[in-house]
Amino acid sequence: MPKKINLDIASVEQREQRLGTIIAWDGTTEELHRASSYEERGKRERGSGCGGNCRLCELSGPFTQGSVCSEQMVECQAGNVRDAVLIQHAPIGCGGGQVEYNSIYRNGLAMRGYKVENIRIINTNLQESDMVFGAADKLRQSIDDAFGRFQPQAIFVASSCATGIIGEDIESVADEKEAELGVPVIPLSCEGFRSKHWSTGFDATQHGILRQIVRKAPRKKQEDLVNVINLWGSDVFTPLLKNLNLRVNYVVDLASVEELAQMSEAAATVGFCYTLSSYLAAALEQHFGVPEVKAPMPYGFEGTDAWLRELAKVTHREHLVEDFIRREHERVKPRIAELKEKLRGVKGFVATGSAYAHGLVQVLRELDVTVDGSLTFHHDPVYDSGDSREDSLGHLNEHYGQVKNFHVSNRQQYQLYAFLQENKPDFLLIRHNGLAPLASRLGIPAAPLGDEHIAVGYDGMINLGETILEIMAHKKFHDDIRRHVKLPYKKWWLEQKDAYILARQPELAAFDAEEYRKERKEAAHA
Amino acid sequence: MAKEGLRQIAIYGKGGIGKSTTTQNLTAGLTELNKNVMVVGCDPKADSTRLLLGGLAQKTVLDTLRDEGEEVELASIMKEGFGGTRCVESGGPEPGVGCAGRGIITSIGLLERLGAYTDDLDYVFYDVLGDVVCGGFAMPIREGKAKEIYIVASGEMMSLYAANNISKGISRYAAKGGVRLGGIICNSRNVDREIELLRAFAEELGTQLIHFVPRDNVVQHAEIHKQTVIQYKPQAKQADEYRQLAKKIEDNELFVIPKPMTQDRLEEILMEYGLMDTIENDYRI
Repeated sequence: MPKKINLDIASVEQREQRLGTIIAWDGTTEELHRASSYEERGKRERGSGCGGNCRLCELSGPFTQGSVCSEQMVECQAGNVRDAVLIQHAPIGCGGGQVEYNSIYRNGLAMRGYKVENIRIINTNLQESDMVFGAADKLRQSIDDAFGRFQPQAIFVASSCATGIIGEDIESVADEKEAELGVPVIPLSCEGFRSKHWSTGFDATQHGILRQIVRKAPRKKQEDLVNVINLWGSDVFTPLLKNLNLRVNYVVDLASVEELAQMSEAAATVGFCYTLSSYLAAALEQHFGVPEVKAPMPYGFEGTDAWLRELAKVTHREHLVEDFIRREHERVKPRIAELKEKLRGVKGFVATGSAYAHGLVQVLRELDVTVDGSLTFHHDPVYDSGDSREDSLGHLNEHYGQVKNFHVSNRQQYQLYAFLQENKPDFLLIRHNGLAPLASRLGIPAAPLGDEHIAVGYDGMINLGETILEIMAHKKFHDDIRRHVKLPYKKWWLEQKDAYILARQPELAAFDAEEYRKERKEAAHA
Repeated sequence: MAKEGLRQIAIYGKGGIGKSTTTQNLTAGLTELNKNVMVVGCDPKADSTRLLLGGLAQKTVLDTLRDEGEEVELASIMKEGFGGTRCVESGGPEPGVGCAGRGIITSIGLLERLGAYTDDLDYVFYDVLGDVVCGGFAMPIREGKAKEIYIVASGEMMSLYAANNISKGISRYAAKGGVRLGGIICNSRNVDREIELLRAFAEELGTQLIHFVPRDNVVQHAEIHKQTVIQYKPQAKQADEYRQLAKKIEDNELFVIPKPMTQDRLEEILMEYGLMDTIENDYRI
């Protein structure tokens, strides 16, 4: 049995320690799956010797482009709880993401039919003397201000690199204020340097919610309620689950504090991406007895069928599921056949979060779109439950075939350039900012999947097919862009075949002052 | 910034070894040599200038910064003490909160901005607490600041462990910043064969035992009266010891990059000098 998730301590255990997460790798999905040895890893208790604890080999180079950090993932989760407030106990620069997350939050509220309002994130604006003396009083004041201004049902307090280094005792202040105010005040340990991958920030938020919001003694069991761990996508799960007489409890994003609290009363937990849902779903099962639906993710016919069957089994609705699956196949197959016709010969590339990418490749292959290449921002060789039925990469290989050019690359644009040269796709699927512009400059239209639920389930195949046709219609526009822009790379990189050359030959990254001066001089004359 | 010829000196050593007492007494000695001296206490306890000022009358740099913001006047954080010494206390957070190391960085930065390092100064002493535990405590010996270090030690084993450790910190910064070890000051604890042990230890480090300050109760008497020995009892033999130390520092020309020893070698030296064969089984105090 894998090690039980520890909710006794305030800090979440980093993803790389729990799961052996890596952020750079190059090969095929079959090779990565073999190296991950999901089944072996899942069976052994972590920390109990090789197999469970062996590190998955990872490429490591001397150069990296900026990415994001765990704290930002806390902003886009804890910050999106409708009647809570998030306090960033941090210097003001850490609040830079508030603008972006506000727009995402407002869009999410609109898509779900909630009143559109601004995100409630407060930054304590730590300054020099706060670093020296600590800023517990400032935090107390911010908690009081947040409580007075918004009357929240919960207050999250995110740590930062700065407070992490000085050992600020956020936990004590949170305890004190929780007793005083009568609402959960939840410290979240998400210092950027704690984890090499930002997905630890998801886990940090979920850890805090599990410890301080989820009802420990459920008032009642809601046998038709399913926790759906999501972000801010459109509501595709309600109509889908209605066919099994199940209601949806969307968590963490766009949920109320009460909806988070009732997670322990639900009949099951599902997600759309194991990267996001792994920790919360496993802990709900281990600590609150809410079963996690252990199945491939709901992408493509294979995935969606298996996912629905397992959900029906866990919620005792087997009698409803087969008929529903049959009807759905009949309903969507004609349209999918049409889409396949239109997408014949088209080649795609997927650049998204880890498990989600596995799902998207499945949907593209259902549409007969060729996918030779994909990048994911990280890779978890195993998920928290350790159950092989969740092995999303294995499911992709087994049912849809491998992806031959598979890259783990943590939002490294310079590498994406080489991947796109290698694969020459007609379009790109992305979810995170910063990658689509590069594709556009290369004349490749990109679908920014801001609505992460677009590809879920049977309708997901149709939705994604139609989206691809839509963006392909912009091909000429992108060709125009390509003709008019100059890429920032040197000739050497433009012709480089190996995106990981700097990891394999780090000496290439050594700074040559003479060459630098020469280039500057040439640039000045140009 | 520091002018040419200004000697900036950092005093390190194990906690409780007598760094502040030694620093203040020796600076009192330097003032008798007509030297202009500034003492910067780099300890959150803010007791590095108590003997020069006749008490803890001083508001610290960091308290002032917190209370009054960046618009601090130099006069509000620098007080004149015995013999015209200029006394500054960096201060710091309460135990267990914030970051004392950052406090040192902040306050030295502020002193520089406020122009505390005037051209007429001959010496600046940084009295740093304990060990070089993090970057903040190494601040006084980084580039552009103290170029000389003296380590206060005694014949007690733990003080030599600490001194060896501090030497490791010095070697790290020596290559880049040009900081050098000027010697070991023994603040005697009346341990057996203390002077031989300290000489051997200093030699092994590649430096010198610059002065052996004997133990004398007059130091405690002076401390109770919030004074240096030179002020409290100028004729005392101990006052002369501090005058000698001041003179030796003034005349010192031996500045080295220390060669910190391995744990095994340090223990060998302790075995060799720290125990007297003849009284091996005699544990009388």
